[in-house]
Amino acid sequence: MLKKTNNVAVVYSDTQPSEKQLQGLAKFLSDKHNCDITVEWKQDKQLTGGFRLEYGAYVYDWTREGKLRQLKSRLEQLSNQSDIIPLLKQTVEDWSPVVKAEEQGSVLYVGDGIATVNGIEHATYGEIVIFESGVRGMVQDLNRHNTGCVVFGDCSEIRSGSKVFRTGKTAGIPVGEGFLGRVVDALGYPVDGKGEIEAEDYRPVEMPAPSIIDRQPVNKPMETGLLVIDSMFPIGRGQRELIIGDRQTGKTAIAIDTIINQKGKDVICIYVAIGQKASSVVRLEQTLEKHGAMDYTIIVNASAGESAPMQYIAPYSGCALAEYFMYQGKDVLIVYDDLSKHAVAYRTLSLLLGRSPGREAYPGDVFYLHSRLLERSAHLSDEKGGGSITALPIVETQAGDVSAYIPTNIISITDGQIFLESELFFQGQRPAVNVGLSVSRVGGAAQTKALKKASGTVRLDLAQCREMQVFTQFASDLDDVTKQQLQYGMGLMSLLKQPQYHPYTQTEQVVLLVSALSKCLQHLKPAEVNSYAKNLLEYTKQTIPTTLRRIDQTQILTDDDKAAIVQCAKQFRDQQATVSEE
Amino acid sequence: MNIGKISRVAGPVIDVDFTTGQLPRIKEALVVNCNGQDKVLEVAQHLDGNTVRCIILSESEGLARDMEVRCTGEGISVPVGEATLGRMFNVLGKPIDGLGEVSKDVTRWNIHRKAPSFSEQSAAVEILETGIKVIDLLEPYPKGGKIGLFGGAGVGKTVLIQELIHNVATEHGGYSVFTGVGERSREGNDLWQEMNESGVASKTALVFGQMNESPGVRMRVALSGLTMAEYFRDTQNKDVLLFIDNIFRFVQAGSEVSTLLGRMPSAVGYQPTLASEMGELQERITSTKNGSVTSVQAIYVPADDLTDPAPATTFTHLDATTVLSRKIAEQGIYPAVDPLESSSRILSAEVVGEEHYEIACKVQEILQKYKELQDIIAILGMEELSDEDRAIVLRARKIQKFLSQPMFVAEKFSGVSGVYVPLKETLRGFKAIIDGQMDQYPEAAFYNVGTLEDVIAKAKMLEGD
Repeated sequence: MLKKTNNVAVVYSDTQPSEKQLQGLAKFLSDKHNCDITVEWKQDKQLTGGFRLEYGAYVYDWTREGKLRQLKSRLEQLSNQSDIIPLLKQTVEDWSPVVKAEEQGSVLYVGDGIATVNGIEHATYGEIVIFESGVRGMVQDLNRHNTGCVVFGDCSEIRSGSKVFRTGKTAGIPVGEGFLGRVVDALGYPVDGKGEIEAEDYRPVEMPAPSIIDRQPVNKPMETGLLVIDSMFPIGRGQRELIIGDRQTGKTAIAIDTIINQKGKDVICIYVAIGQKASSVVRLEQTLEKHGAMDYTIIVNASAGESAPMQYIAPYSGCALAEYFMYQGKDVLIVYDDLSKHAVAYRTLSLLLGRSPGREAYPGDVFYLHSRLLERSAHLSDEKGGGSITALPIVETQAGDVSAYIPTNIISITDGQIFLESELFFQGQRPAVNVGLSVSRVGGAAQTKALKKASGTVRLDLAQCREMQVFTQFASDLDDVTKQQLQYGMGLMSLLKQPQYHPYTQTEQVVLLVSALSKCLQHLKPAEVNSYAKNLLEYTKQTIPTTLRRIDQTQILTDDDKAAIVQCAKQFRDQQATVSEE
Repeated sequence: MNIGKISRVAGPVIDVDFTTGQLPRIKEALVVNCNGQDKVLEVAQHLDGNTVRCIILSESEGLARDMEVRCTGEGISVPVGEATLGRMFNVLGKPIDGLGEVSKDVTRWNIHRKAPSFSEQSAAVEILETGIKVIDLLEPYPKGGKIGLFGGAGVGKTVLIQELIHNVATEHGGYSVFTGVGERSREGNDLWQEMNESGVASKTALVFGQMNESPGVRMRVALSGLTMAEYFRDTQNKDVLLFIDNIFRFVQAGSEVSTLLGRMPSAVGYQPTLASEMGELQERITSTKNGSVTSVQAIYVPADDLTDPAPATTFTHLDATTVLSRKIAEQGIYPAVDPLESSSRILSAEVVGEEHYEIACKVQEILQKYKELQDIIAILGMEELSDEDRAIVLRARKIQKFLSQPMFVAEKFSGVSGVYVPLKETLRGFKAIIDGQMDQYPEAAFYNVGTLEDVIAKAKMLEGD
């Protein structure tokens, strides 16, 4: 039996039922469903004759309307036959309202996460059905004589001949503020053992993306706290920025750093784990907890052990949660970790449903699978509340091959990508961002004026420098311009190294960039740059605090402020030089 | 009215039963009311005497068996003419710009039309200046011709197409039609805002069916946009600019529904009808004796594989192809055009003139030579080359850099303002490099600038540093 955490049924009626009646209903449900259920009363003034009992997806209708509906359907069944009057009389005499949830079917075939069902003729495409054992499924194929469903859970509980009930609801999950700080599965049930979650609403997992006119350009920064990203590949609220790289190159680390950096910035974070080791997700939760980031974070977990349909639906559920907050005008950050496993789960499902394979055996609509998900991240127009969903999908490559099928598909959906390279990673360049292949298409417009001015053309300079490095690796006589360019590039690269969980503020980034670009770090050996940078930041905080505060507040870097920073950096350099001489 | 009932739903493919035996014709539009919302289907096949197989032009969620389906007696149609200018439409010709409905009196055309006949065709021979150096020099675009921008993910197709809109559509006096096929909604919003700011919108009709929409929409939206352009060409004898971003998505949408329609998959899982579907669409995009359609189509290259059936099939239909390469983008050179892969049918002395042709050939020759020498350099280093080869390598690197240029539409991200380089200036610049007049300047000075004067200025600045 699936463990039900939300064992509350609701009875709707006009007049309040007595305690005894409630107990009677609870007993009826408990017997029917083999678990303890408590019944709550809610008033519904429209229900004058009778009441309606709802438990999860089951609806028991004892209202006048409900009884009439049952009579009507019974009569309709008979009306095809001739000689209707005696039959009618017979039927009316025989008839008494039946106590059962409406429309059911039975399982014909089940296996590998797919069930074919007979009956439930009026099931709609995408509707949730419930199997006798309590496991849920979703309608994916409506055939002439049967219905194909994917099963969210354990297939071994379902047998051929098991009953199936319609719910009348399209696949969706409960949503609400209560989810913050919690870990839930792909259907919104808590899995962290902290008790049930009070939902405020129920949202379908599949929703159309905001239309063209309901959007506005990305114009507010989503600060990651990582110098390499904020300066060269800035991300804006409402953007989709792909994080891509081989395994063990620090992809998740970037996402986690970004979540941690949102503390106090009024951003809600959602982390969707797809096909991962459950223990990694636990560790991740602990890390976020330790840095105080769980207060504003929700984790949706469909770990490797869950069935393919659960992994398939998880990112859509996460997105539905995110949309709940976005449409309230809030800013949300959602991380999909990772979409290559999601594509694999969908491939499994789709091959089992008998759809024919295409490139790399993925079905033809694998692009649509991700495009309709990622298009739901947007920056809404002010008329729609101005909320946003920023998405950081993660994709794993094989042997650094960005031009494989799924990676290029997703790159063509997102507004840029951050490409991590294992070579750089092992050289100690962490975060291991490949400057040449990474790009952010819209973030530039969202960067603060100060940071934009400070970072200048760093990215293009570095890309050119890298190309030059390859070209000149065997050359001995280099002209001075080239030599300087190379040295400058090396210095910049070491400045971009940054340990995990140590985000820089925007102002700190401005100071570092201004000092580096005015060549105040030029004299350092690559290994020294990091500690030097740390001391420099301390020094500037002590000597020019008012300048820094001004930059922080106005987010503008005036020429005077810039000069002040440069001067301060030079002072520090000279001071250090004398210290080392002594 | 002829009414049928849904009997099967498999993703975007729907079967409808007509017990009356009167089947709607293929390509006829059907309507089903689902929870108060009208959804449109298009008939694709007749399965037997009672059943038709349709493709839905919206989401399938909420459909159930036995729902009633109405025949409309006609195909999908869109409004055409002046009323479409300054507006934004979806695949069905419904405005999605929030500016109200299109008046009922406006002419509507069926989106399925015949291509102009052989005798109506006209061949293009005049060059269209774009202000982008690498294009004007190496793969000049013909007026009234068909131009393709090939590129993998994230190498800058959309930026280049927007730059072309900026440079060409604003200069061009006539009407433009922009069709967004299966691309980002965010880009649609950016384009809409930008066009309204620059004033181009009043001469442009926009049609969108973006990547969040169902395959049926993405399959048909290219036709909706094309139909609007055809009207201007055929009935008003205008010269029209047609931008399509991205024609690959049209093929892709077709392959998404193909197996569900019951067809066997062809190479790499594409639909068996790939070439004919593409041909049917492409043959309609053409210039006739009445008026011209200059089309710029972006073509996504899946997995960076130019031999993939979709881009490979598209190549034959084009007059000029611009190939964008990841290797060049990686070096920070934008637009990331591959000068040796790109080509144009009008790059010949008769059309572009003797001088232009010679410079272009010489540039290609130097770049080709450099490409061959690259392996030697990688193994032995520059020192081992003959003096002559060294000079070629250095010039080739300068040419490579000089082929980049700052773009107007990228200004807000790069912080560098764009430049429009007239063809005359482009020719003068490359001629100077080839002739060795620019040998004394460092190659960094050639990067991301417009004309020769900019190079000299940048060189001075670099020295001063």
